[in-house]
Amino acid sequence: MKRVDAIIRPHQLEDVKSRLTKAGVEGITVSDVRGFGRQKGHSEVYRGTEYAVEFLPKIQVTILASDDLLPKVLEAITEGARTGKIGDGKIFVTALEEVIRIRTGDRGDAAI
Amino acid sequence: MRQNTANRFRPEDRPFKRLTIFFAAVIVAGSLRVCLADEPKPDPAGIATGDKTTAMDAGGNSFVVTEPTDKNDPDFAAKKKAFDEYQAAAAKEPLAVKLADSVGHVRVATNFAWTLNTGYLVLFMQAGFALLTCGLVRKKNAAHLMMLNFAAYVFAFLAYYAVGYAFQFGAVAVNAAPTNLGGVPALNKFLIGSGSWGFLGGHGFFLSGPAYDAGSNCLTLFEVVFMETAGYIIVGAICERITFWAFLLCELFIGAILYPVFGCWVWGGGWMSQLGSTMNLGHGYVDFAGSTVVHAVGGFCALALAVILGPRLGKYGPDVKPRAFPAHNIVFVVTGTFILLFGWMGFNPGSTLGATDLRISVIAVNTNLAAIAGSAAAMLLWYFMFGKPDVTMACNGMLAGLVAITAPCAFVSPTSATVIGVVAGVIVCLGVLFFERVAKVDDPCGAISVHGLCGWFGAVSVGIFADGTYGSGWNGVGANSYLGHAGQGVTGLLYGDTRQFLMQLSGATLCAVWAFGATFVVFTVVNKIKSMRVSPEVEEEGLDVPEFGMSAYPEETTLAEI
Repeated sequence: MKRVDAIIRPHQLEDVKSRLTKAGVEGITVSDVRGFGRQKGHSEVYRGTEYAVEFLPKIQVTILASDDLLPKVLEAITEGARTGKIGDGKIFVTALEEVIRIRTGDRGDAAI
Repeated sequence: MRQNTANRFRPEDRPFKRLTIFFAAVIVAGSLRVCLADEPKPDPAGIATGDKTTAMDAGGNSFVVTEPTDKNDPDFAAKKKAFDEYQAAAAKEPLAVKLADSVGHVRVATNFAWTLNTGYLVLFMQAGFALLTCGLVRKKNAAHLMMLNFAAYVFAFLAYYAVGYAFQFGAVAVNAAPTNLGGVPALNKFLIGSGSWGFLGGHGFFLSGPAYDAGSNCLTLFEVVFMETAGYIIVGAICERITFWAFLLCELFIGAILYPVFGCWVWGGGWMSQLGSTMNLGHGYVDFAGSTVVHAVGGFCALALAVILGPRLGKYGPDVKPRAFPAHNIVFVVTGTFILLFGWMGFNPGSTLGATDLRISVIAVNTNLAAIAGSAAAMLLWYFMFGKPDVTMACNGMLAGLVAITAPCAFVSPTSATVIGVVAGVIVCLGVLFFERVAKVDDPCGAISVHGLCGWFGAVSVGIFADGTYGSGWNGVGANSYLGHAGQGVTGLLYGDTRQFLMQLSGATLCAVWAFGATFVVFTVVNKIKSMRVSPEVEEEGLDVPEFGMSAYPEETTLAEI
């Protein structure tokens, strides 16, 4: 079982979500985050004073995937989120030790 | 990597700056017209405005009896007798005549105070519309919306000051002098047209010369805030994707040309107001406070711009079904609507240009009835169609009722006002659905449906519901009697006047054609020279920072520096 966290552009969320559901993913968690990678930010002037706009708004998409679904999930996210320009984001895959569905008590792959 | 965009004119904005400068030059050049001597003198200090000639009783009968000049008039003998009697009485009671001068002055002063104060209420509507539209869009564009509303007031005012007022009211004394304010007789020249066929006024450029007059300035203040209303209406349809420079051009266009031209035709003594006399079309085109002159002009201008700009990114998905972009702040939307309702208490009753016209109370009640009826109708209709009353549609319904009653408010009964409100509430709901789903014109705030469609309907409803109790002698028609009754005012279809209905129908439609057509032609050309839309990257990010260098809610987009 794997946990997949993807940092993507907010505008690409619709696309990523529809590809993931097509790929068979049934649960997604989404959060608003800010960050920068090599994209960095830029500076603006407010009433004569320069300030840095470093952290850009992004969306973090979190999905749990069983090992056999993982390649499809990674492909769905990559295809959905890619625009070709700097700032498209990153995907992190971590090994998931345990997952439990609270309502029923299911564990493991059955709980994804 | 994004460049530092701080305070630099981006190269792609230069064509726009050139266009704006060109436009400004046209305004200046067009305004270099000198008015000559042998004209009524303007009164900038206000010391010669209001005297016994402006003293009237409640029925509008003047204190002073004027000498009859038309020897062929059948009533000539009776009028001459009345005049001679007045002359004799005036000679016997000189103190009474002096008192009449004071009374006439106080009457004009009362009406100055009324007109200016109701004008300030209309000015306050700017804040209401800013809140309303800002609340209806996405958070990332909040500063953009506020700046559009703010800059609309600033730049449209400049254009109106330079040429707009002169175009609209430069000839108002020729056919339709506002006697409540002392007459402004110095505004008596058409630039294009003359007599009963005037098309554009020609006195008062840069509010100088004949317009540097106390009475004229009173009218200016009142009329400029009405123009501003038309100016900000377009914001509701073009927001979230228009560049600031393109927007300023739109505002200059509205303040200098689009609004004043139609405004001259209807309110400035122009040809549409005279069609009652020239072509026997009722009392000519009647629009009391501006359902078409203000709202439909704004609404159909907004339609043309929205069509040229195209919908917001992502508004219509690949399956061409519309996507919702929910309002980011419903609190603003409702507060803004209440402020607009309050301001409308200046908009409609103020259009009498005088507190001495006691129809103001009926107007105020009619305005409120249409407002609540429109809101109730919209809430109920939406509830039956979608299962829940939509807060934003409840607000749009109220505004629809207000827009629709703006033309007929002085001429109809309270029950008619309620009916007009209900119909407007239905129209706005269907209109919003039509533009969103069928026509696929992206209108973020429903401006086209509220102001365009309901404005048109409001003017037409004058021709249906006007009951003849007010407006005797409107546009110079039927001062002695109309449709066989003495004192009969503006009348609609339901009370026996078919020609008025036809006049209203054609006039309102002409307004839509003018506003849409002129805007579409001019701005299709502008858009071809340089796109009026921001780039997709800017639109995605939100226009606050890229266009204005600041966010409306900065703590949420930049971690605050400690």
